[in-house]
Amino acid sequence: DLAHVTAPAPLFAPPPTRRRGAGRRRSEPGGLCCSLPRRRNFRGSTAAGSRGTAGPQARVTESSVPVTNSVAALSRSGVRRAQAPPSARSSVFTRSARAPLGSAFSSVLAARAVGVRAVAWLLLWEVAGFTSIPATAFSAAPTDTGIRATCSEIILRQEVLKDGFHRDLLIKVKFGESLEDLQTCRLLIKQYIPSGLFVDPYELASLRERNITEAVMVSENFNIEAPNYLSKESEVLIYARQDSQCIDCFQAFLPVHYRYHRPHSKDGETVIVVNNPDLLMYCDQEFPILKCWAQSEVAAPCALKSKDICQWNNMKYKPVYKNVTLQVPVGLTIHTSLGSAFRTSIFRNRSQ
Amino acid sequence: MAPTKPWGEWFLGLRVPPAGVFGVAFLARVALVFYGVFQDRTLLVRYTDVDYRVFTDAARFVTEGRSPYLRATYRYTPLLGWLLTPNVYLCELFGKFLFISCDLLTAFLLYRLLLFKGLGRRRACGYCVFWLLNPLPMAVSSRGNADSMVAALVLATLYLLARRQVACAAVSYGLAVHMKMYPVTYILPIALHLLPERGDPGRPRCPFQARLYEFLKRLCSRAVLLFVAVAGLTFSALSFGFYQKYGWEFLEHTYLYHLTRRDIRHNFSPYFYMLYLTAESPWSFSLGLAAFLPQFLLLSAVSFAYYRDLVFCCFLHTAIFVTFNKVCTSQYFLWYLCLLPLVMPLVRIRWKRAVVLLMLWFIGQALWLAPAYLLEFQGKNTFLFIWLAGLFFLLINCSILIQIISHYKQEPLAERIKYD
Repeated sequence: DLAHVTAPAPLFAPPPTRRRGAGRRRSEPGGLCCSLPRRRNFRGSTAAGSRGTAGPQARVTESSVPVTNSVAALSRSGVRRAQAPPSARSSVFTRSARAPLGSAFSSVLAARAVGVRAVAWLLLWEVAGFTSIPATAFSAAPTDTGIRATCSEIILRQEVLKDGFHRDLLIKVKFGESLEDLQTCRLLIKQYIPSGLFVDPYELASLRERNITEAVMVSENFNIEAPNYLSKESEVLIYARQDSQCIDCFQAFLPVHYRYHRPHSKDGETVIVVNNPDLLMYCDQEFPILKCWAQSEVAAPCALKSKDICQWNNMKYKPVYKNVTLQVPVGLTIHTSLGSAFRTSIFRNRSQ
Repeated sequence: MAPTKPWGEWFLGLRVPPAGVFGVAFLARVALVFYGVFQDRTLLVRYTDVDYRVFTDAARFVTEGRSPYLRATYRYTPLLGWLLTPNVYLCELFGKFLFISCDLLTAFLLYRLLLFKGLGRRRACGYCVFWLLNPLPMAVSSRGNADSMVAALVLATLYLLARRQVACAAVSYGLAVHMKMYPVTYILPIALHLLPERGDPGRPRCPFQARLYEFLKRLCSRAVLLFVAVAGLTFSALSFGFYQKYGWEFLEHTYLYHLTRRDIRHNFSPYFYMLYLTAESPWSFSLGLAAFLPQFLLLSAVSFAYYRDLVFCCFLHTAIFVTFNKVCTSQYFLWYLCLLPLVMPLVRIRWKRAVVLLMLWFIGQALWLAPAYLLEFQGKNTFLFIWLAGLFFLLINCSILIQIISHYKQEPLAERIKYD
């Protein structure tokens, strides 16, 4: 199957070249397989020259390899070969193992090689027309499909723990694939706190001191004691930490408290909606995952205690829940007229 | 009625000198402070009160030369921030030791006052034990609340008035009012107490206008004027000085917040539910004002009835003020508990009945704490039950006060001390 890749060399050279190539194949397992030739052609043309073929032949070899690779990429039949260097490697071994077995094989190979080579030359003209194809396109062509196939989603899950007026917001982020590179990345969660909740900045400071969580309030001028209808939304930045229990997971923790809400005429409860946060990621290097999901850039402090501002990437993620709803008990306005309300509430409680 | 068993009688058998009792109380408080340090470091729930952190942060701002009001929820006098600056320079425990010292000073003033009223040393010490070995003031001071400072100042005022040092008492009173607003209600009984004797007791069928005129003339006696003038001067000097330094923020946080405070969040007062439900209605302001009315009427009535015994009058004043206030938290109970040892010798209740009343007081609080816990920590809608428990607690407090008043017997040997 590798015939159309390695064919041009044997066609120009007598069989000894092929044997040489076969020998070379044996000594360099995967030396002429799909992945290595590609790299050699773009990072150093001397590698092809080391094969010992003549200059123009070498040039043809060099240029034909990427052509055939692009052809492979363009034509569906070639995709499999382009993507699977290990199988190509194995077929090289089998080829080199089978080659001495019979000349019949070699004639079949030669015929196939001629046909494919012709197609390759025809397409070379077409490709030559595309003068603006950058080198990266060749290298990216197989890798683009690689990213789309391996770029798994980031999953974010928001949970609220505890009961009552004092709750803990737990945010867990899981990366779909296991990448060691994530160790060098940092994750920042920008949580929007609705007006029905509040965060105590002094409590956050005390948690920072005890190293339980690293969170800081962005908004100023808030009143801890105000009810819901006299308060505004606020923002909190939480520097997520690696989750020890799960590989490639990050988690963030934030204690929140309920404000008092307007009393209601019928229902004893009202609802607070907590929306999904913004997920910001910063890596020291360019990782494919950033390219996949980064939507925009946000400026924020690099770390809690530093004053440097980094450009964080706002990442697109898949949330487990659309949002989190919390139930808040409220007073009943029918109690305002306490006399009759006293009787009705007793009956209501009995019926529940 | 069977003779009362004074609370401290059994201490007579112990033969512990007063200094020993004070020493034990001091050691117990110090031990609690160090336990608090341990708990703060190890457990998640802190022993130290949030207020203490507020004071320390404010003191830190003061050491930097800035306003203590930069710290959110700091609603006290800047004097407290200034006094606690050694928290920042020396050790963070300084403030707690200061409050413990004020606690012991309170107990010492109680002891001296009881001695002054004619009680024996052992008996006086026995009544002081109620404050010295009471876990509530111990816990409150070691947690870092500043209420013991105000208690000490109030007791200093009463002690100095008993010793006829009107000017010093006025300074102490002005300082107490500056620190916490509630002693301002004492002005009426103090003024009535300082009035000279009526020259001509009980002229029947005196026209109201003539009596009012005579009353006002008596009010302008030397002692009353001196007290009012010195107290007013102290208070104004402090307020003006701090206003010059910190501006409108000082007035807003130290005074106005406490006067106009409308806490719609749940607390012991049954008013909270009404305030919460009517928070946005146009009637809320008038309802708030109307809530002052029972307090005002009762306080005036008690002042005119019991001004002769200043201590008893002040105790009733504070108890009524706290019970009928729009906001009531457990911190406020200390305000009248510090005066209870002075009142106990005069109130002749059988100890069994006293224990029953005490139990009722605790049960009333427990009945409130249960639905409040369900609301705050489990999210159940128990607003109505909290309100009912608050109402029940109000009734219990009223019945306790009624019992105290009905069993009060003025000392037959107590002379009206004349103020020249």
